[in-house]
Amino acid sequence: MRSVIDDGEAVARARGGDLDAYAVLVARYTLRAHRAAFLLGAAEEADDVVQEAFVKAFRHLSRFRVGESFGPWLLRIVANETRNVTRSRRRRAALALRLCAAEPGGVAADGPVDKVLAAERQARLLAAVNTLPDNERQVLVCRYFLELSEAETAQVLAWPLGSVKSRTSRALNRLRGLLVPGEQSRVSHG
Amino acid sequence: MGDRAGWQGLLEAELRAVGRSLEVPPAGDLTVAVRQRLEGRAPGRRYGPALGPLRGRLGWRAALAALAALAALLVVMVATPQGRAAIAHVFRFAGVELRQEPGPARHPGSRASLPGQRGMSLERARRQVSFPILVPAALGRPGEVVVSDRGRVVSLIYRRTPYGLVRLDEFAGHFDQLVFEKFVHLVEVTEVRVNSTRGLWVKGPQELVYITRDGTPAAASARLTTGNTLIWGTWQVAVRLEGNLTRTAALAIADSAH
Repeated sequence: MRSVIDDGEAVARARGGDLDAYAVLVARYTLRAHRAAFLLGAAEEADDVVQEAFVKAFRHLSRFRVGESFGPWLLRIVANETRNVTRSRRRRAALALRLCAAEPGGVAADGPVDKVLAAERQARLLAAVNTLPDNERQVLVCRYFLELSEAETAQVLAWPLGSVKSRTSRALNRLRGLLVPGEQSRVSHG
Repeated sequence: MGDRAGWQGLLEAELRAVGRSLEVPPAGDLTVAVRQRLEGRAPGRRYGPALGPLRGRLGWRAALAALAALAALLVVMVATPQGRAAIAHVFRFAGVELRQEPGPARHPGSRASLPGQRGMSLERARRQVSFPILVPAALGRPGEVVVSDRGRVVSLIYRRTPYGLVRLDEFAGHFDQLVFEKFVHLVEVTEVRVNSTRGLWVKGPQELVYITRDGTPAAASARLTTGNTLIWGTWQVAVRLEGNLTRTAALAIADSAH
């Protein structure tokens, strides 16, 4: 009888050079890492970013602290690689995030009215997110699209926890201003 | 202050909902590529103009085709085992991790259970889970509906069908969470189309274990499945359909699920 290996054991074995154990981590975290890279701006280069991040992570496993959680540790490397890619693109426009096109089982244009309204509201909200300054967009991606905690976001973006809190708050205020025009004056200082 | 907390909480909930509906192209399977890099068998990837514009034009649909090819390649490679530790052969799809190695379950018919499982009506189950429950019209109303792990999984159980016992496990499809681990010979895995999305057809009984929210296998859930399995998902819900089904029957049931 053989049991499934958990992250801690896989890291410990990978550190000893066991590539099979590392393959388990690669398989387990590819989707999460890819989603993070894509949403943080790597766009069509997300697969390359993630591959590079996994290679670097393996080489830096000695810096991984026992008991630490592998996900955020890896995502910090992913976020850093993503920055390298977006920096090399320089002035190219930031990636505009999009909602899934309606599919069978999704929200169709002729669906129930409340669903259509909800979809419209989501589209407006996302359009507003797309207009935010880079820092604020990144913090929203981490906190709400990747559903990371404040502490994990601080780790992934390599920011102090205070910056995560203040930028989240500023971003939410700015979004509110964009969605509810009457609130604009209150956030203009943002 | 109360007002501030109110709108902020609402906005945060809306942002999370948007996050679950975002278009994210499918990820390539990188286990082979990363391993080759680490073994020094493949050169490093370069970012920037050399590849960037071309890939940009091709878009991720082309990348998806490449991914399908890679998946096929992976299966072929596994079909000729080299005697290396089988643990390297890991493949993830729609919340299910397929692994070619002996699993923890040994006996069929053991009283395996998912954590916190509770039987209830379909209507009540719909209110308790965050994803839409797909019910295959081809099978009609399920004989039994079981919600497990505080609404993370719902199972529809049909005891009397032309195919014997048929079971559907459904869970949120938009997350890259891991919900089940299957221990299979990957040579028995083929890619299929279900309702114009990608699915996996896994032949033969497999050992199956449920993976909890914190990523650990739930020992009590380990069991040997019966028959064959079809796995597919939309961005909202992922489904594994299990039973003594032919591939044609499984695809017909899947196509009828709404």
